[in-house]
Amino acid sequence: MNLSMSSVESLVAQIHGLSSNIGELTQLRNYLKQCDDLLRTESTRLAPLLTELDPSVHSLGYLYILEACTSAPISKDQANKLVLSVARFINVCAAEQIRLAPEKFISICKRLMLQVMLLEDPMRGVAPLLTSIRKLQSSTEQLTTLHPDFMLLCLLSKCYKIGLSVLEDDIFEVDLPRDLFLYCYYGGMICIGQKQFRKALELLHNVVTAPMPIISAIAVEAYKKYILVSLIHLGQFATSFPKYTSSAAQRNLKNFSQSYLELVNSYSTGKVSEVEKCVEIYKDTFGSDNNLGLVKQVVSSMYKRNIQRLTQTYLTLSLQDIANTVQLNSPKEAEMHVLQMIQEGDIYATINQKDGMVRFLEDPEQYKTCEMIERLDFSIQRIMRLSKKLTTMNEVMSCDPSYLGKVGKERQRFDYDDFYTVPSKFTI
Amino acid sequence: MDFSALNEALAFKSYDKVAGICDTLMFLAASEGVSYQQDWPYAIHLIGHIYVNDINSARFLWKKIPLAVKESQPEVSAAWKIGQRLWIKDYASVHEAIREFIWSPQCQGIMAAFSEMYTKRMFELLQSAYSTISIQDTALFLGMSEEDATNYVLQHGWTVDPASRMLTVKKQAVVTKQKLDHSKLQRLTEYVFHLEH
Repeated sequence: MNLSMSSVESLVAQIHGLSSNIGELTQLRNYLKQCDDLLRTESTRLAPLLTELDPSVHSLGYLYILEACTSAPISKDQANKLVLSVARFINVCAAEQIRLAPEKFISICKRLMLQVMLLEDPMRGVAPLLTSIRKLQSSTEQLTTLHPDFMLLCLLSKCYKIGLSVLEDDIFEVDLPRDLFLYCYYGGMICIGQKQFRKALELLHNVVTAPMPIISAIAVEAYKKYILVSLIHLGQFATSFPKYTSSAAQRNLKNFSQSYLELVNSYSTGKVSEVEKCVEIYKDTFGSDNNLGLVKQVVSSMYKRNIQRLTQTYLTLSLQDIANTVQLNSPKEAEMHVLQMIQEGDIYATINQKDGMVRFLEDPEQYKTCEMIERLDFSIQRIMRLSKKLTTMNEVMSCDPSYLGKVGKERQRFDYDDFYTVPSKFTI
Repeated sequence: MDFSALNEALAFKSYDKVAGICDTLMFLAASEGVSYQQDWPYAIHLIGHIYVNDINSARFLWKKIPLAVKESQPEVSAAWKIGQRLWIKDYASVHEAIREFIWSPQCQGIMAAFSEMYTKRMFELLQSAYSTISIQDTALFLGMSEEDATNYVLQHGWTVDPASRMLTVKKQAVVTKQKLDHSKLQRLTEYVFHLEH
């Protein structure tokens, strides 16, 4: 069947006519769905149609046609044009309209991503993908399938700060589990790049402990970074997994990270020389895993950790003694380390150059200031929101048929009072 | 490329906004597929990041700058030198890096402001970290001659022992706000309500 002049006109007319309100748009979407095959077969001839449409007003129609146009394989010269047309559409399209056809929207965004990678210019896709995420999301709590792509572009183009701004949203809804794995893994790497180790740890922890029937390469790599970030941020690593970790992860992850666990052992000796020896032995593994930078940070964190440990035993200590205990070359080096730690808030101390001594102090925070109260309030509000969400989820789950079926079968194991209303044979 | 927002910020001395404006403009240029690298004000962009103490972003920006630009625009390398020394925390040499280059008119204002801010920041660090410190080190950290440094700190209440060339630091009393208002009462009510239900 050919796309004759009349059907082209009627297509454009339909789009023009049915783009004003949600009722019309739903009608339009059904019509366009029926035209889908037609659009696909005539994809090479559809480009002129786009000039007759306004992407900001006729977003849904424009989207269908654009998606069909871009579905054919293209040459490298055309890649630039494609990227430009998709980026411009993303910028001006109406969010409510494109949300009626999310799979089409995701499709063109993924094509933009692919072309941007082939053009070896990942930065071109950063701003468009950020806009597309914000338009596709029903709320900032939803993780779309475009999130991990955006994170990857941020990493490749070294635009870490903008990636971090998206990571600040709390996620409660996920479309596909695979998206969550990749999002948290890439997100962890962005946090590491910005030296936000606490958040990196949280994200990597999610990857390692997420439900998984079999382990994936993502989980393995995340575990390696998790070990390193844990050493940098906490000064230690707990080899036991939390109870909610999948059995697949618990059984297998350690087998792929032997060299990293050796590093943990050498770190726990507290001696920089031991850690450096270990790094030398496994240098090639760390290198091929692209973790050498992180490993170096692990080593330099040891000096900090060791100096911090001294505060637990001493009230004052000479710079010379610090240098000796922590394996630094001179008192001056020790002084510079302590000064840096004071600046970053890792230690509370004052240096007395006249006597060559350091006096360790208590944390002066009294938790009484307005600023501290604001912080506490923010955290409490966040927990309250989380608590309300959990209550709602609990209620929804207690009506779930498969859950009730399972409870019904095993009700003799539970308290009579809680479950006597559930029939022992519950079938739908 | 339209740099009016950037020029405005510089004219109004809103130096803390420079980095954000440059980032936004760069994304705009990139998403339009415009080849902007040759004419981009990398020096100002780098200094903008340094001004707000975001050395991470300065580092990543430096990595993105094409080699040709790095080699042909000495101001860009000079700006990065400052960032690099801040990164490795070589406090004293930052002043040197600022002084040894003749900055273009576009960068002069923000550089002067940064230099002043940095000296103040160093002073506050010395004040919180040291109880006694040599005149020599103080001068290095503040980027001043020993005489100027001594006068500067004496004005802030420190004392000097000329015999040992040592300065005794006067700690700044910490002023904290502790006043509460009735909105806090409202919030406490919300917490209790939440806990009761």
